[in-house]
Amino acid sequence: MSNRDWLRENTFHHSTFRDIRALVEKKKKRQVRISLCLPTLNEEKTIAKQIVIMKSELMTRYPLLDEIVVIDSGSTDNTCEVAAAYGANVYAAADILPELPVFKGKGENLWKALYVTKGDIIIYLDADITNIHHRFAYALLGPLLAHDHIKYVKAFYDRPLAGEDARIRPTGGGRVTELVIRPMFSLFFPELTQILQPLSGEYAGCRELLETIHFPIGYGVETSMILDIYEKWGLDVIAQVDLDSRVHRNQDTKALGKMAFVIMKTFLKRIEKYDLVKINQTVYNELIQYQHVPGQYQKDTFRIEGHERPPMIDIPEYRRKFNIPDDDVL
Amino acid sequence: MDEILKKLPFFVDQLKAIKETVISSIVLIGQTPGPTSGEEARADQFLDRLSCEGVDEAGKDSMKNAIGIIKGKGGGKGGGKNGKSNDPILLCAHLDTLFSDDDVDHNYIVRKNTITGPGVLDNTVSIGVLATLPTILRHLDIHFSSDIVLAGATQSLGRGNLRGIRHLLNTYSRPIRCGIIMEGEKLGHFSYYSEGIIRGEISCDISPKATFFTQKYKPNAILVLNEVINELLGLNLPQRPRCRIIIGTISGGHKHGEIAVSARLGFEIQSDSDEMVKKVYGKIEDIVEGIGHEHSVALKIETITVQNAAALKYGHPLVKNAVGIMRGLGLKPVSESSESELSVFLSRNIPALALGMTTGKNAHLENATMRINPMFIGIAQIIGLLLAIDKGLCDEQ
Repeated sequence: MSNRDWLRENTFHHSTFRDIRALVEKKKKRQVRISLCLPTLNEEKTIAKQIVIMKSELMTRYPLLDEIVVIDSGSTDNTCEVAAAYGANVYAAADILPELPVFKGKGENLWKALYVTKGDIIIYLDADITNIHHRFAYALLGPLLAHDHIKYVKAFYDRPLAGEDARIRPTGGGRVTELVIRPMFSLFFPELTQILQPLSGEYAGCRELLETIHFPIGYGVETSMILDIYEKWGLDVIAQVDLDSRVHRNQDTKALGKMAFVIMKTFLKRIEKYDLVKINQTVYNELIQYQHVPGQYQKDTFRIEGHERPPMIDIPEYRRKFNIPDDDVL
Repeated sequence: MDEILKKLPFFVDQLKAIKETVISSIVLIGQTPGPTSGEEARADQFLDRLSCEGVDEAGKDSMKNAIGIIKGKGGGKGGGKNGKSNDPILLCAHLDTLFSDDDVDHNYIVRKNTITGPGVLDNTVSIGVLATLPTILRHLDIHFSSDIVLAGATQSLGRGNLRGIRHLLNTYSRPIRCGIIMEGEKLGHFSYYSEGIIRGEISCDISPKATFFTQKYKPNAILVLNEVINELLGLNLPQRPRCRIIIGTISGGHKHGEIAVSARLGFEIQSDSDEMVKKVYGKIEDIVEGIGHEHSVALKIETITVQNAAALKYGHPLVKNAVGIMRGLGLKPVSESSESELSVFLSRNIPALALGMTTGKNAHLENATMRINPMFIGIAQIIGLLLAIDKGLCDEQ
C-alpha cells in the first residue's frame, strides 16, 4: 500500500463507528474480550467521569467492554478510592508482578496492564481527559473490529488546552509532536509522519502485538510502540481515528522539555537498534535545565535512566497466567 | 397508597445500582451548553439519550421543546372510571441554563459523592434524570396505564418567560392529566402555588443620542437609578394581599473615574394577587416617568416576565399524596412559592406540583455542585407520585 493509500484507507472518523450495537455484534462474531486500561497518577478530578461514562455506555448499555482497569502509579489524592467506588478494578502498579524491580511511569502501568487484564484487545486512555466521551473508546475499537488486518489504532484530535483560569483556549497543544517527533519521523521514517498525533495517549491494540514489544517505563512508550510495531509488522496494521476534540491539562515548557528529552532518547535508542545510525559516544541520562533565581542562574537536573520492560510474553509469570507454552515465545 | 409507600425505600436502593447510567446522562447533557433560546444542541443530546434509553416516541415541537413519550398500557385513549384516567401525565424540566456557550468551561467534574459544573443544579440534574427515566422504570419493572410525557422545555429562564412550556401546553394534542415539574434543588421542597410576578428592568441612558436635552450638568445614570430605588423603598405595600418588591440586579458604568452613562436595575414584584402586582407595576411606571422627566434622561421600564398567581388547594389529593410520599422517604416537606413552569400548568387548571431533586451548593454559579446520593430519593419521590397519579389517587373527586 502506498503512503497515499494508507492515509486514505487507514484514517477514520469516529462517527463511522457510532453504531455501537454493530460493534458489539462484530465483537461477538470475533469472540474477543476487550479491556479498557486507565493509567493514573493523581487524577481524582477526571477519573470518576471517565469510568462512569465508559461503564454506563459501553458496559451497561452495550456490552462492548469486558472490564475497566485502573493501574495507579502511587496517587496521593483520592484517585484509587474514587475509581473503585465507581466499579473499576484498581491496581497499584507496584503490586503487580512484585518480584520484579519496581519502576514508576506511565509505560510501566501500560505494560503491567497486560498482566492483569483479560482482553484480547486493550484500549489505553489517558485519565486526564476533561471532555471524555465514550467515542474515545468505541472509535478506537472500530477499525480493530471492522478490519482483520488492523491491529493497532491511534487517536488524533483537535487539542484545546484547559488553562489555569479554566477557560478553554481553542488552539495549541501538540508542541512536542510538532517540534520533536514529527521532525524525527521526517528524518528517518517519513511514512510515519502520516500518523497525525503519534504521541496521543489514546490507543488500542491487539494483545498479540502488545505482548511482544518492549515498553519504556515513561513518556517514551508511545514513540517506541509505533516504531516497534512499524518495524515488526509494517504500517498496514496501524490505523488512526479522528476523535474531534480532546481537552487536556496544559503543561509548562519545562515539563514539555522533560517529555521531549525522554522521547528523543527512546527514538535514538530505536534507530540505533534498527541499525539506522551508530552513535559513537555516550548518550547521557540527564536533562539539564536552568532557571533564573535572584542573583544567579540555577541548574536543574532531571535524571532519566531510560529503563525499558521486555516484551511481556518473555515474563514467565505471564506465560503461566495465559497458558502460553514456552516454545510459543517469539 | 400504602402499597406505594412501602416500595419507596426499595426504589432508592435499586436506583443506586444504575447510578452510572443516571450520572452519565447528567454529564453528557450538562456538558452541552443550553443558554435560553440556544437550547437546540442540548435538546438534541436529550433526545439522543431518550432514544438510546428506548423511549417509545421522541421528537421536538415547533418551539424546539424536546419531548419523549413512554406509552402506557392503557393505550392512551382516556375514558377511565373518572373519565380521564388514561390522559397523559407530563413530567417536565427546563432545558435552558444561565450559562452561555462562551467563556464558560462546561466540562463537569464527577467525584465520589458530587457532580460539579455550570447549571448542574438548575436544571441539568432534572434533565438527566428525565432522559434516563425509561431505563429507570425498566430497571424497577414499573409500567403505567397512562402515557408519561417527558418534556425538556425550552426558553424558560429570564427573557424566555416560560415560552416553551406555554407553547407545549397550548398545542399538545391531548388533555394533560397532571404535571410534575422537576427542579434541581432542593430535595424536600415542593411547590403547589405560584405567586403573581412581574419581573422588569429599568434602564437609564444618558448618552447624547439617547437624551433630548443638552444638559449643563451631566447626570450620572447610577445616581438616577439610586433615586428610583429610594422611591421604590418609599412605596407603601400592603400586608394583605401580601406584596413585595425585590431589587435583584444592578449594573452600570465603565470606569471608576468616569460618570456612568448607562445603568440597569432588575426588579421583581411578587404578590398572591395578580391585581396587586399590576397596581404596583403601575406605580413604578409613574416613578420612572417622573424621575426621567426631572433629570431629562432616557429612563425606561421594560417587562421581562409575567407570571399569574395560581394555586392548588393544600387539601388537593396531589398535594396530600406528594407530602405523604416525601414523608415516607424520610423527608421533611417544605412548601414554597414556585417561579417555575408550575404557574403555566395551574393557570390552565392542570393539577401540578414542582419538586426538588437533590441538594447541593452554588446553584447559580459556574461551580454549582450537586450531591449524588440524595438524588436517588428525589427520583424515588417522582416515581412514587407517578404511580399515585396513574392509579387515580391524585384525582379530585
